[in-house]
Amino acid sequence: MAITLSEIQTQIRFITKQQEYAVANVPFTVPSNIDCKSLNKLINSLLKESNPDILKNIEFDFLVIGELLRVPLCNHLQEKGVSTEVTVDIEYIQRSPAPQPQDALQHDDWISSVHVADKWVLTGCYDNTINIWSTKGKHQVTVRDHINLVKAVTWLQEGNPLGGFVSVSHDLTGILWHWTPDSPVPVMKAVLRGHERGIDTVGVSPDSTTLATGGWDTNLKLWSAELDDDEPPQKKSRGNILTKVPLQTLKGHKESISKVIWIDNTTMCTASMDHTIKLWDAELCGLKNEVIGQKAYLGASWSHLAHALIACSADRHIRLYDPRSTDGAVCKSTFTSHTMWVSSVAWSQNDEHLFISGGYDNCVKLWDTRSPKAPLYDLTGHQGKVLCVDWSNPQHLVSGGSDNSVHIFRNMHVGL
Amino acid sequence: MRNINSNLKRKQDENIPRSSKSPVNHIEGDDQDNDEYFNTIEGEDADSSDSDRELEDEDSENDEFSDDEEKSDDETDDSEEDEEDLDDETEDDLDNDTDEEVDDETDDELDDETDDESDDNNEEKLNKDVEAKENNERNSEDIEEGDPELENDISKKRKNINLLRNKKNIREDYTSNTAESGKFVRIAKETQNGKSSKGNEFRIKTKRKDVVSSTENDEYADHDTSDEEDIRNTVGNIPMQWYDEYKHLGYDWDGKPIVKPESGDKIDDFLKRMENPEFWRTVKDPQTGQDVVLGDEDIQLIKRIQAQKIPDVSFDEYAPWIEWFTSEVMKTPVRKFPEHKRSFLPSKSEQRKISKLVHALKMGWIKTKAEQDALRAKAEPQFYMLWTTDDQSEEMRRIHKHIAPPKRQLPGHAESYNPPPEYLFDEKELKQWNKQKNDPSKRKLHFVPQKFESLRKVPAYSRYIKERFLRCLDLYLCPRAIKMKLTIEPEALVPKLPSPRDLQPFPTVLCIEYEGHKDMVRTISPDPTGQYLASGSDDNTVKIWEVNTGRCLKTIQTNDIVRCVQWCPNTALSLVAVASGNRLLLLNPHVGDFLICSKTDTVLKEASEIISIDAMEIPERVRSSVKWEEPSDEEYNNGIRVCLKHFKEITQVTWHCKGDYFATVMPDGQNRSVLISQLSKRRSQLPFSKSKGLIQSVLFHPLRPLLFVATQRHVRIYDLVKQQLVKKLMTNSRWISTMAVHPAGDNLLVATYDRKILWFDLDLSTKPYQTLRLHGTAVRGVAYHKRYPLFASGSDDRSLIVSHGMVYNDLLKNPLIVPLKRFQDHKPHNDFGVFDVKFHPLQPWVFSSGGDATIKLYSN
Repeated sequence: MAITLSEIQTQIRFITKQQEYAVANVPFTVPSNIDCKSLNKLINSLLKESNPDILKNIEFDFLVIGELLRVPLCNHLQEKGVSTEVTVDIEYIQRSPAPQPQDALQHDDWISSVHVADKWVLTGCYDNTINIWSTKGKHQVTVRDHINLVKAVTWLQEGNPLGGFVSVSHDLTGILWHWTPDSPVPVMKAVLRGHERGIDTVGVSPDSTTLATGGWDTNLKLWSAELDDDEPPQKKSRGNILTKVPLQTLKGHKESISKVIWIDNTTMCTASMDHTIKLWDAELCGLKNEVIGQKAYLGASWSHLAHALIACSADRHIRLYDPRSTDGAVCKSTFTSHTMWVSSVAWSQNDEHLFISGGYDNCVKLWDTRSPKAPLYDLTGHQGKVLCVDWSNPQHLVSGGSDNSVHIFRNMHVGL
Repeated sequence: MRNINSNLKRKQDENIPRSSKSPVNHIEGDDQDNDEYFNTIEGEDADSSDSDRELEDEDSENDEFSDDEEKSDDETDDSEEDEEDLDDETEDDLDNDTDEEVDDETDDELDDETDDESDDNNEEKLNKDVEAKENNERNSEDIEEGDPELENDISKKRKNINLLRNKKNIREDYTSNTAESGKFVRIAKETQNGKSSKGNEFRIKTKRKDVVSSTENDEYADHDTSDEEDIRNTVGNIPMQWYDEYKHLGYDWDGKPIVKPESGDKIDDFLKRMENPEFWRTVKDPQTGQDVVLGDEDIQLIKRIQAQKIPDVSFDEYAPWIEWFTSEVMKTPVRKFPEHKRSFLPSKSEQRKISKLVHALKMGWIKTKAEQDALRAKAEPQFYMLWTTDDQSEEMRRIHKHIAPPKRQLPGHAESYNPPPEYLFDEKELKQWNKQKNDPSKRKLHFVPQKFESLRKVPAYSRYIKERFLRCLDLYLCPRAIKMKLTIEPEALVPKLPSPRDLQPFPTVLCIEYEGHKDMVRTISPDPTGQYLASGSDDNTVKIWEVNTGRCLKTIQTNDIVRCVQWCPNTALSLVAVASGNRLLLLNPHVGDFLICSKTDTVLKEASEIISIDAMEIPERVRSSVKWEEPSDEEYNNGIRVCLKHFKEITQVTWHCKGDYFATVMPDGQNRSVLISQLSKRRSQLPFSKSKGLIQSVLFHPLRPLLFVATQRHVRIYDLVKQQLVKKLMTNSRWISTMAVHPAGDNLLVATYDRKILWFDLDLSTKPYQTLRLHGTAVRGVAYHKRYPLFASGSDDRSLIVSHGMVYNDLLKNPLIVPLKRFQDHKPHNDFGVFDVKFHPLQPWVFSSGGDATIKLYSN
């Protein structure tokens, strides 16, 4: 073999969707083992030639055949099964800079759940408390009404803290709260009673009218989220606090439900320890679809932009599913970089390719679906297992873990 | 005169055998008669020649055309004659052959005879010519008329010609086959002569053909193709593929190669198929390479053969049956008079002949075939195999299964009279050889290799007699025996195990560590739902963990070392049995189902109130060994609901599958070592009155009322209902540490301090089905998975080994055991490694607790 890898030349053509960084649409011949760094240099020199205004080097990422370039080009093409002899279209996008750590909110105990709306961070804690913080790191409120550890908290309206929030706990109850930023203490509006064992997860429908909870009694229960006192009080207890009973109980899982999410106003998705992800119809109260995996699922997230489901299970991998497809492989791709179980995942709200994941290896990772081999960034800082992540507010990546702290990272993504 | 002679002749002929009727024999007989015989024929011949002459005259009177005709006729005649000659020649040759046989006696007359022969032929020819010419005239007339009938006629005739030719060929074959006897040939020839009319016919036909060939137009009008051409292959009946590589197919009569007709390409073939309506009935004659269109008769024949009918159309398969010999038994004889006596009495003359033969045999005058053969064999020289004794076992009397002596080694280069120099001894070797004089058996060679110029200079071998003698001694003194040797490859003894990849799921990675204990964690127990894990440690605490997150939910302080925790299998109760020192604590951890937890509390409270009254009925023996107590308030707040104070330290507690009974083990309690307590009635009993040894561990059978009791060396199985020993398992080890029972109850795992894990198949035998020596040091914990075919073992060498242990429902199939994975994550602590091993009740996960105060979870 006289020809070494470096001697092989490949024709490439640069394309981009960011018009301000467009270069001439001419093919270049480059050594086929060119990597990201060299391509960056090439693009930057081209840009400087065409546009002398650009002084600083701009970092780009390169999309080759639907996947971000992370290895030398020839290896990448080989993996994709593409010949190096054809002209390769390389799309380049400005690399989003790493999220910057902004704040760490210290709690008294492990953080089981975190949710952000606007600038308010809602956290559920293992010391039975619910805390509200501002994203600037100011502690606002602590609620101690649960008598067992709080497993999940969520704002009722996406991005609007005025709509109230709901918390579920291992004391078998969920509580609906009303809170305004200027009020000192949230007002308990209703108690959800009906679960037989600890509640692990709660999901609010996109129109904020229905709640779905699941836990160790393997049942999925639907509740009305109406806070108004107009509806007839079903049962009064503890003064004038409304006690709600489930609208529906959906049985089907064999083991505990670890995550409930809403896909749209009528469809729920549950990830369970019994190795299945089930899709439920909230109106018909029946099972719609089912994904059977190999491991116990710990978390899941649905993207309205990508129309895809990512789920993490009791292993190192994050899997991307298309739950609507019934034929072929339901698992579209696998993201592996964590070294321990991945406890939670969350999609970006404004980018169809990005999501974050938190694992027991003390690490939060920012992923691009086009780069399954390696994450974009590792967000370190946690000293213990990461138990929850949240990206409801596009500007803030929030994670909480067993080191009693909630870490807030500011998203420096382009276009924000 | 002639006639009389011939008549005479005939009379004579009748007397002699038929075959000698031929003229040759006559010649032998008497010359005169013979001459006359031939003369008569000559006379006839002369007549025929006359008529021939007349015909010729007539011909000459005819017009020019007929002359031409004649010329061509002559030509054809010539060719015909040639052909005839050929035939005659062959026949003559045969004749000559036969003649030669006769020649020995009649040399002189040979010439005459051959002359006669030729004369004979000439006569024949002339006859033919005459008739042919007559026919010819007729032909020429026909052709002049141009009658269309003629054409049909011609084609018909042509076929006839072919047929005739075939016949002739057959006849030739026949004659040549029977060439042995000249007489026979002669007869055949005579018959040929007799059938001169037929010969004429043959001639006519060939002439016809020639006529046609001269008129070309007609030929082509008749769709006549070249297959009518006389291409006759002389290669004979051979596989024609021998000619595949050549351009020709064989050789015609003239010895010229028959060139293969050009075979068209596919397009030609296709065109032919499309255009030629008779393509389907066209076949290729392998002999000539020509295309032959099959006639209707042929087609019919083929069709009939294909249909498996009798090829001959005219054959009537269903002809009426004619009974030539009647099957009916006649009642009366066919003939009027009965069989003659002669027909069933033995013949006297034959009897006489036979008695003569018998007498001759008796006297030895004549010999039977076998006797003759024996005599002949004796007369012939005798041979025997020189080398039989060397490699074949001799048939020896009284020696059965004789073993041939081992063969001597063949001489090598060193034995050569002129060995290569490297085989010759140098000084050192010679010295060595001489040194070993006293012990010659140690020598590498029993002689010194020597070099000679030539073979003839080699002296006599001085040790010959001695060596022979030694060899004889060897053979005589050394008994030989057949040695049965079994060659088994060690690989063949190893059972074929499936690949671990096919046995998934099983724990493969460490995923969660439960940290919080301050001392060795001796025991762990997961709750039946798999949500929580209880652990007991040397730091006197019991901790409740959340499995999925590794969160310690509760810590319960006790007064002594916690040696065993066991979650109650009854899901309606939220209870953990904790063996702490010499107290057994029943703990309500207050995790999980709130209702169940509170219900457990109330149930226990009620039970204590009701039952504590009749405590007097307890026998003294039990009362002295255990005391049911209410916990103190502080303990109650910690979750401790019931407290059993034992008289010795408890090492183990185990629940019955229903969750009402539990057994505790106090190894130091001698005959009160095992105590079975009932929770609902708050009552204890001592099942054994006699101590069988130091009891290590007890277990309830998951399905039947059996109790496994492990002493130091044995496992005894007791029936709790019948109160008797069922089985005693021999572990063959020195000290049992713990055991685990398969969820189906038919298999038992026993761990021992002497590094072994024993798998007992209770249906199989009282001896271990498998002994697994996977660990380097004492095994302290074994566990079965409730759902997956997995078991695990933990040992002091810090390793946790997960194995596949498939138990089949089929009783004939033994359990399959495959070690799968070894983990060694625990840190050593005072020579302790892994203390306890437990599987997650639902997931294929395994927990291990170690001396390093941690609990580890391994997931798939």
